[in-house]
Amino acid sequence: MKEKIKNIIENVGLPRIIIFFFLVSLFVLAPVVGISLTTSINDVIVRFGMNGILVLSLVPMVKSGCGLNFGLQLGIIAGLLGAVISIEMEATGFAGFFMAVGIAIFIAVILGFFYGVLLNKIKGDEMVVATYVGFSSVSLMCIMWLILPFKSPNMIWAYGGSGLRTTINTQGYWFHVLTDFLQIKLGSHIIFPTGTILFFTLLCFLVWAFFRTKIGTSMDAVGSNPDYARSCGVNVDKMRIISVILSTVITAIGILVYEESFGFVQLYMAPLYMAFPAVAALLLGGASVGKVSIKNVIIGAFLFQGILTMTPSVINNIIKSDMSESIRIVVSNGMIVYALTRKSKVRS
Amino acid sequence: MRKRIIIRITLIVVLILIGISLYTIGKEHKVLIDNKGISIGGITYNADTTYKVWVDNLEIGLLEKGERNVAKVAGTSHKIVIEETKDKVLTGEKHEKRFKLKTNEGATINIPAIVNNANEWINKKYIGGE
Amino acid sequence: MKKQNLTRTMNPYVKFFIDYSVPIIIALLVAFAIPLSGLSGKYFIKELTIRLSRNSFLILALLIPVMAGMGMNFGIVLGAMAGEIGLIFVTDWLIVGLPGMLLAMLISTPIAILLGYFAGIVLNRAKGREMVTGFMLGFFMNGIYQLVVLYGMGNIIPISNSNILLPRGYGIRNAISLIGIRQVMDKFIPLKIGGILIPIGTLLVIATLCVFIVWFKKTKLGQDMRTVGQDNDIARASGINVEKTRILSIVISTVLACYGQIIFLQNIGTMNTYNSHEQVGVFAIAALLVGGASVAKASIFNVFVGVILFHTMFVVSPRAGKELIGQAQLGEYFRVFVSYGVIAFSLALYAWRKRVEKENERRKVMAFKRVLLQNNNTTGGDKL
Repeated sequence: MKEKIKNIIENVGLPRIIIFFFLVSLFVLAPVVGISLTTSINDVIVRFGMNGILVLSLVPMVKSGCGLNFGLQLGIIAGLLGAVISIEMEATGFAGFFMAVGIAIFIAVILGFFYGVLLNKIKGDEMVVATYVGFSSVSLMCIMWLILPFKSPNMIWAYGGSGLRTTINTQGYWFHVLTDFLQIKLGSHIIFPTGTILFFTLLCFLVWAFFRTKIGTSMDAVGSNPDYARSCGVNVDKMRIISVILSTVITAIGILVYEESFGFVQLYMAPLYMAFPAVAALLLGGASVGKVSIKNVIIGAFLFQGILTMTPSVINNIIKSDMSESIRIVVSNGMIVYALTRKSKVRS
Repeated sequence: MRKRIIIRITLIVVLILIGISLYTIGKEHKVLIDNKGISIGGITYNADTTYKVWVDNLEIGLLEKGERNVAKVAGTSHKIVIEETKDKVLTGEKHEKRFKLKTNEGATINIPAIVNNANEWINKKYIGGE
Repeated sequence: MKKQNLTRTMNPYVKFFIDYSVPIIIALLVAFAIPLSGLSGKYFIKELTIRLSRNSFLILALLIPVMAGMGMNFGIVLGAMAGEIGLIFVTDWLIVGLPGMLLAMLISTPIAILLGYFAGIVLNRAKGREMVTGFMLGFFMNGIYQLVVLYGMGNIIPISNSNILLPRGYGIRNAISLIGIRQVMDKFIPLKIGGILIPIGTLLVIATLCVFIVWFKKTKLGQDMRTVGQDNDIARASGINVEKTRILSIVISTVLACYGQIIFLQNIGTMNTYNSHEQVGVFAIAALLVGGASVAKASIFNVFVGVILFHTMFVVSPRAGKELIGQAQLGEYFRVFVSYGVIAFSLALYAWRKRVEKENERRKVMAFKRVLLQNNNTTGGDKL
């Protein structure tokens, strides 16, 4: 029995277990300190739907051996461009949303292609370069947001006349199109975002199915054993590029879902650090630098958003101070550091 | 092995001593300077004119009758120099006093008391805290 | 990582351009932007003197880990945090002047050593991924720093000076005035040339550090580190404790970064408690890379060239952006873009060259094996 417990701890990893129990204790404490459990759970589910796709987007690249996608920002930029262009065209409702998605996918494919080519040239060092490629592209886009010729009065600075605002309201365009779709209202406090969750489930299923196809399994092989894949006639480089494009596209869709739920399009420096929560969530769910599954995505996103939602409300009520931001930083970055320090297979 | 431990302990002790001396040399104290009337031991001294004040060779400025000023000094030994002014002109009549401050002390200095060579021209106060 | 020619080209000119591509590009950009910005030469000299004396120490702290093969030490943020904690205490205790600054250095040293040791252990467990891990470790430590400084100080850690505490009674304020130690080192031996204050004190200290680094490279420990940096296996075979040496390089770097941050802050005179150390790692590493350094090779020359080029670009960008497009904000984004872009480009370039080199090695070994096989076949032997 002891052996079994020891095995579980070693496999799952002590930090994850600690965080899991921490979250459970938060849920237990919530009603004690006067926080409605149902509202909290509802919040967690909403945020889970909002962020889940971004976490999902990391899967293809991990499978193909490109590591954790710290360059997530490229996909986010594609999504932002899609959103902004669709608003410029005054598209509303579902049509607007899917138009944004369409444009975003188009841009994401192009960006993903170049990103993939770059990553192929630096096999083994992808993560650190990706981080800075992501950062530089966000800064570059800051310049772009200022000088690109957008005209829609909802988006540009009121008095200046040129350059996009930092945050753009999606209300009136496609705010909550998914969330409100097939919404289930139970009582006054619980609004189950059926649309968002359905969409997320759909994408999870698509990704899962993809990795059962021929291309998917080749991609997997490229990640776990590139030499073997090469000997089977698989073009390793091409597979990696496809995985990067796939990841970028899913990211673009993910940020659009985030925006439709959140209600705002955040430009300029906002996407700078967005890769880290997604990566942390994935790692929290049990993934590692070289291994991932859809299960990790779902568990991880839920746990992570759980902590993000519960910690401020519960701890603030107990200690009467707002430690949540610092705790979030410690937990999410700590998870990433922990995952990076675990021994993994050395790939050539 | 033993020699290494001895060297290391000596090093740490030396560093601690340096730290303490830095603390003492660098600790800043507030010194209040009053040009007000004061009663010492039953005798009252009054402020009669304006004085120019220097503390540790740094000019604090002019103190008129009834005014209070503050000087921030660092370390243990200090000196204060005051020069009388009559009708906005320095008369050349100077008084100089030296004083020491312990680490957690602040002080209040009274000018009329200095001018009249009273013994209790300075009042040291323990400032609570570190 | 064996130190060899990382480019296949034989042409020395091309090689020079590739090796120094980053500083050359930045120099061109700067040359273009300086006249555009309309700033006077005197302004530049004054700004550069200040920035040189302010930042050089921090960038010099990056050299030792590069020597030991740890790459760009993003963990210098930890040293910066240690220095800031020292400054918080010194400000609380109202210690001023040079003694104040020295005391801050003294009490933050053990903190820096501890943090450096921790960083070294973590980095050792992430061999091959040191830079990403160091980078994330910096963020992680920032969270811990916040917990300590924003919640612990005034609570569990006694702080008596209410000037630096938040109104609620615990936690340090966002900005602390360091007026007590402002420019103490700079003004230590005051010298004014043409109205510009030359911070002799600081420059002397920087010179001392440079001498120290040069001397260190010649010591046994320094040589050990270089061996570890070149090839772990050879080092281990020579009896060097690779793990310990790597940790030591990070500890030294962290302590130097701690002092560097104190020197930086004493020049500015104010400390942004929660933000001052954020960009320390990025800007220092960007400056070093702009100076021509690479992940495997960095020299004192790179440091100074880097500071001059990088900070000139820094000063010039907002103005140039304003002249060019009419928005100074553009220039500011541009300078952030260049900082990040430089790092991305240098790291990518280095990684690419490393791979090319590995490929070359592999091909050479394969070719050699083939030749051996052929020879054996022709002579009829069956032993390799």
